[in-house]
Amino acid sequence: MTKEHDETSRPSDPSRRKFLKGVGIVGAGAAIAGGLLETELRGERGATVAATANAPMSGTVEVALQVNGERRAVQVEPRTTLLNALRNHLDPPLTGPKLVCDMGTCGACTVLVDDKPIYSCLVLAVDTAGKKITTVEGLGTAEQPNQVQAAFVADDALMCGFCTPGFVTTLSAYLKKNPQPTLDELREACKGNFCRCGTYPRVFEAALKAAQQKA
Amino acid sequence: MQQQPPKKKKIKVPKVVNGQETMVEIEVDDTGGPVWGPNNGHTLLNHRLTRVDGLVKVSGAARYTYDVHLPGMLYGRVLRAPHAHARVKKVDLSAALKVPGVKAAVEGLQDVRYAGTPVAAVAATTPELAEDGIRAIVVQYEVLPHVVRAEDAIKPDAPKVFDEGNVQAANSRGDKEKVAAALAKCAAVVEAEYRTPIVHHSCLETHGNVVDYRGGDAATVYASTQWTFSIPGDAAQELGLKQSAVTAIVEHMGGGFGSKFGIGVEGALACKLSKQASAPVKLMLTRHDEFLIPVNRSGSWQKLTGGATKDGKLVAVEATQYRLGGNDEGSQAGQPYIYTATDFYREVSSIHTNEAGSGAMRAPGHPQASFAMESLMDELAYKLNLDPLEFRKINLKDPAYHRQLERGAREIDWSRRNTTPGGGAGPVKRGLGCGVGVWGGGGSPQCKVDVTIGRDGAVTVACGTQDLGTGTRTYTRAIVAEELGLQIADVHEQIGNSKLGASNPSGGSTTAASLAPAVKDAAYSARMMFAEKVAPLLGVKPEEVTFAGSKVSGGGKSLSWSQACAALPATGLTAHGEWKVNLADKGVHGAAFAEVEVDTETGHVRPVKIVHVQDVGLPLNRLAIESQINGGMIQAMGMALWEGRVMDAALGLMCNPSFEDYKIPGSLEMPELVPLIDDGDTREAVIGVGEPPIIPTVGAIANAVFNACGVRVRELPITPDKILMGLWKGGQTA
Repeated sequence: MTKEHDETSRPSDPSRRKFLKGVGIVGAGAAIAGGLLETELRGERGATVAATANAPMSGTVEVALQVNGERRAVQVEPRTTLLNALRNHLDPPLTGPKLVCDMGTCGACTVLVDDKPIYSCLVLAVDTAGKKITTVEGLGTAEQPNQVQAAFVADDALMCGFCTPGFVTTLSAYLKKNPQPTLDELREACKGNFCRCGTYPRVFEAALKAAQQKA
Repeated sequence: MQQQPPKKKKIKVPKVVNGQETMVEIEVDDTGGPVWGPNNGHTLLNHRLTRVDGLVKVSGAARYTYDVHLPGMLYGRVLRAPHAHARVKKVDLSAALKVPGVKAAVEGLQDVRYAGTPVAAVAATTPELAEDGIRAIVVQYEVLPHVVRAEDAIKPDAPKVFDEGNVQAANSRGDKEKVAAALAKCAAVVEAEYRTPIVHHSCLETHGNVVDYRGGDAATVYASTQWTFSIPGDAAQELGLKQSAVTAIVEHMGGGFGSKFGIGVEGALACKLSKQASAPVKLMLTRHDEFLIPVNRSGSWQKLTGGATKDGKLVAVEATQYRLGGNDEGSQAGQPYIYTATDFYREVSSIHTNEAGSGAMRAPGHPQASFAMESLMDELAYKLNLDPLEFRKINLKDPAYHRQLERGAREIDWSRRNTTPGGGAGPVKRGLGCGVGVWGGGGSPQCKVDVTIGRDGAVTVACGTQDLGTGTRTYTRAIVAEELGLQIADVHEQIGNSKLGASNPSGGSTTAASLAPAVKDAAYSARMMFAEKVAPLLGVKPEEVTFAGSKVSGGGKSLSWSQACAALPATGLTAHGEWKVNLADKGVHGAAFAEVEVDTETGHVRPVKIVHVQDVGLPLNRLAIESQINGGMIQAMGMALWEGRVMDAALGLMCNPSFEDYKIPGSLEMPELVPLIDDGDTREAVIGVGEPPIIPTVGAIANAVFNACGVRVRELPITPDKILMGLWKGGQTA
């Protein structure tokens, strides 16, 4: 414990490497499983990262993200969450998904990975290399909103709007899975998304309306 | 200077008669200038307007302060003190500055009066590296004894938060002896202590700024703030610049609820970091920071004694009221709040603890006072065997309260309440409760608005004000569009920039009542100026020109909007507007009714239905006002049932600084919500409505819980343990 503590005060920080090693096992391991490591993850000097799970990793890697139909590469530390990669490393960034709790409670960072909603603050960017990522920006635009987005505006399902991209993303995916939801099913679908202004009742109304329009 | 319209004249305003829009002539007031006209005579205002920034928000395109991304921008992080009370002896930043990517490191506050006080900050090329930098800072503290509970803080030997002591001298009002004499003669007396915990604003966008200062004599600060114009002065002081050299930008705001005025300690640190690094620095608090560093709603400890006659007249109230504002004063409305007792006596003071300071939160001081007083009123009513609703009406003179209580009672069907609390078969009991509130609000002459009509037909309304999510952008456009006979999409607004006309802080529900009159004034002047230009084309006098249906008409002729605008000079025309006292008002009521279900086996409370009736003067946008009333009811529900800071007395630390452990209302708890605008209020004036809807629901829920299960919970939040304890101690359930 004492040793650990001493190490954290040193800039070259072995404890961080230990953490990155952990990432190597989880993150890179998952990428290997997908057969993507060689092509999608590159060390900062362009060299391919060693494909041994036990080798420590440090510095940054290049991750090729497939975001909203485009291949966009980012140079990130392996510990970087998908959310931070989207918001801080893409240029121009995608800031629709919001950082609110950073621990998978509030749902403001929700994005779709292979069409499934996930909390992007809980997923490392390296783990999503090569997967299909859709952010709220990819669901529709101000000029061409999808039905959920249009219904949110029509029913005033937003106030400050900071939680809104998360709700829109969650519900857009949910209505594909369940095109004719009941009110109770919608409550259940939204239980992983928090709003502080108090838009829930109108979020439900908007989602019901969007579902009716799709039918 | 303001355009002076001719004094004393008749003007034509649009009016809807039998669904048809016509222009009617009205007499303006003595000084001339704009009036709103009857509330049911508007073409856009008092209608259901969708938000003009809705599409950019639902598509992720809206740029909040948290989303600002500048070339070369660094990310700031603060280091929080782990002690509740300490003095910083030494801060060693050297190791932090050696962490790769860390570009600046600065010291923060030295007096630690609450755990979480920012004692240092770093800026690095990524947030992850900034976190590494924070961990490399070494701080030496002189740790001092702390106190975090009010009960402990009032003890004579308690550690002192401030040298002057922990208990502020009380302000007293009324005659204590008269109250004692009156209480002795009452048919019913209730003596009880009510407590409410510290409640967190929990804005989803945390406090923070992006400070862009790269040397030189000018800086830009992007701020998540409720007052654009509080930022330049605060930042200039930290940066050593003139106030006018700092531009504040607030495009979109992710919630404030009273907590975001001024640049804050986090903003001051961001300025220092940006100055040191000569680079833009984004310093947004983390969620953990957010629970510890910024202000919160003060808690309360209220000892009340109330007495009433057997026919239900409240005659005496005595109150000892403590504001629990951490290392700040806190707020609490004086008892007996909205009620009038023949005799009352109160003492109000603050108890200090080693917790972050309190600040304004949505109707500061009111939900606390309302919860206690509405509970006391309920207890008296049951003691006198009177209907709690009738008991309130006996003690409220203002007809607005009677109107709102009657409407709310109809909506919730008050006759369904348990005449015997806890009555009814089965373990799951339902009950009804009500509560009443009051709020001042009002406007003031701080907003400077410009309306510009371009020769190309473009219409712009500009003011530096901010939109917290209340719909400011939307009604600003709507007022101008209505005045000029256009549609909302024909007008564009520029707000959230300190280089635009001044505006007031969004506090006390004063934004709409301060801004809307100035917008109306500017739009009215623009219309007058435009009429002068267009009148010769139509061959009529300026006062005969009308604006409706995107046409400018007079003398039987009509010009399209673009034809009329072509008559303007190349620079178009710009009219300036200022606040007008006749366009704003203050003072609203508000009544809430709650239906809850209490499971007497688990103690779980489920809100079933909440109704809130609110007067608002002229409703600028019914859709947005209903949303705000919903928001008030929902936040009140959180305060009544789930929210509250939990402190570890021994360690002086907050136990629940995250959304995992601090429970804000979620989708599963949503009851049926009925937001009602009280159109019985026919004042033709704008009154803000952000705050009042949070006030009466808290007490209404507590009273509904009692009606359901017979347990009077006097300390918020009403958690299952308190219900079960109440039942075990002889609650009236079978």
